Amino acid sequence: MRSLLASLLLMLLVAPALAQESHEASPADDPAATVEADVSTRSLEVTTGFTGHEIVVFGAIDNSEAPTNGSGYYDVVVVVEGTPLPLVVRRKSDVGGVWINTSSVTFASVPSYYAIASTRPIEEIAGPAVLERHAIGMQHIKMTPSTHKGAIEDYELAAFRSAVIRLKKSQNLYVLEPKDGVTFVGRSLFRATIPLPANVPVGPLVARTYLFHNGQVVSAHIARVTLHRAGIERLVHNFAFVHPASYGFIAVVLAIASGLLASAYFRRRPS
Amino acid sequence: MHIYLPIAEMSVNVLLFLGMGWAVGFLSGMFGVGGGFLLTPLLMFMGVPTAVAVGTGSMHILASSVSGAIAQYQRRNVDVKMGIVLVVGGIVGSIIGVALMKLLRQIGQFDLFVSLSYVTFLGAVGALMMIESLGSIRKRQTAQPVPHKTRQHNWVHGLPLKMRFHRSKLYISALPPAAIGAFVGFMAAIMGVGGGFVMVPAMIYLLRVPTSVVIGTSLFQIVFVMAATTFLQAIQNKTVDVVLALVLIIGGVIGAQFGAAAGGRLKGEQLRFLLAALVLLVGLRIGWDLITQPTELYSIGPVIGGAS
Repeated sequence: MRSLLASLLLMLLVAPALAQESHEASPADDPAATVEADVSTRSLEVTTGFTGHEIVVFGAIDNSEAPTNGSGYYDVVVVVEGTPLPLVVRRKSDVGGVWINTSSVTFASVPSYYAIASTRPIEEIAGPAVLERHAIGMQHIKMTPSTHKGAIEDYELAAFRSAVIRLKKSQNLYVLEPKDGVTFVGRSLFRATIPLPANVPVGPLVARTYLFHNGQVVSAHIARVTLHRAGIERLVHNFAFVHPASYGFIAVVLAIASGLLASAYFRRRPS
Repeated sequence: MHIYLPIAEMSVNVLLFLGMGWAVGFLSGMFGVGGGFLLTPLLMFMGVPTAVAVGTGSMHILASSVSGAIAQYQRRNVDVKMGIVLVVGGIVGSIIGVALMKLLRQIGQFDLFVSLSYVTFLGAVGALMMIESLGSIRKRQTAQPVPHKTRQHNWVHGLPLKMRFHRSKLYISALPPAAIGAFVGFMAAIMGVGGGFVMVPAMIYLLRVPTSVVIGTSLFQIVFVMAATTFLQAIQNKTVDVVLALVLIIGGVIGAQFGAAAGGRLKGEQLRFLLAALVLLVGLRIGWDLITQPTELYSIGPVIGGAS
């Protein structure tokens, strides 16, 4: 039911873009090929022991026009995106021998997490315009700068943008799966494995699945995963941010208690 | 075995951090210092955000100094009146420090400020300690009698607001101890240290507090100021990671027991020489990171309330 709703929603969203594309792709009155997908885990708990998790995005192509064992006829791209959050990027430069943050760009929204898996390298699947429209690929991730003071040239902005991608990649938060990230099982079933690292920011994740044919999006589907804090980890984090005064007080009490306990323990022991 | 730190928002190897706590505890037990100046940079090197390292550092220092302070109090080595003056100053300094920290984080210069503070203080204190300890080692070798310092009046004794500190046998203005307390409180908030390495010499050389009550009184100040700082950091900057602090405390108290035993086998000036070398090394390491070109010039971070 939920995925049905989600797909309806998506249809509304991408309908204008799809209208012409699917037109080209499906000949005559044949029902157009559509893609449906889901994620192995709908909701994931980030607990104190959380060390990352792998989610599997799987799906099927309906009304496939592919010849038997249809490898190559269709391409599937899976994009998993985390909640967009504001982000500051700072650049250091040499000021009298000391490396100091001298310039910064604030992006109003940058996906906290971004993973992409596809049947082939995405550049081979579609042209840059199509990829840009659907925000597929690292260089097409939507980032909107919020402090554009005019002083920042476009090429500089591009440098800050690529710094975000580079740094996020090094934190395993932006992931480009190897070329066979999406594998077909038979004629119309496919699956992709997406690794979520331990430091993945909590919040909803959106898994977008695109079906490509001849460089155009034929169909798309959205599924969602929610990552939420659980256990002691959630308790501590929420407490610290919702009741900072009580949290601070407890931190003080805990520190004093543990200090006293430890010394009492070691004093009793014959040394 | 990994655990997820709720405030630092990173997954760390709990054994590694227990070991770090142990090592810092060992060194602080051996040298009789708080160890904040070792722990905070170590956490920074491990990738804990600087602000979280500093905030959590205060909680760790509170835990590791509370039992010592009580022991000193029971041995009547605390000048409570002097301690209260130092604490009042310290809390004022801590409030300023925590507020400045918030501002510096917003403009993205907090890490730089912390590094510069570390380089300055560790460099100065380390160099002074090194000179002093080398001097005592040489004196011991030539067996010269150490000249006794005469109790002389200096400019400190000319200030108003005079108070009588019975246990310290002093009749001096309350302003210098309050100022020292404030300075140490400020440093504590910004650098995640207890500040004993500044407070103890300042009390001995500027205030002429008898050495018998210096350690106890400075521990008294550290406990109260660290409690206030932990509280303020939690409210203003939300950078106290209780889980991280507890892991470090557990490692630290065990390490301190071994450290104290090891320290008992070394002579005072040898210990001070080793401590000075350690302090200088940490300072040089942080300074090195400031002046060498970083491999990554860019850094990313969350937008902190109202940042530009």
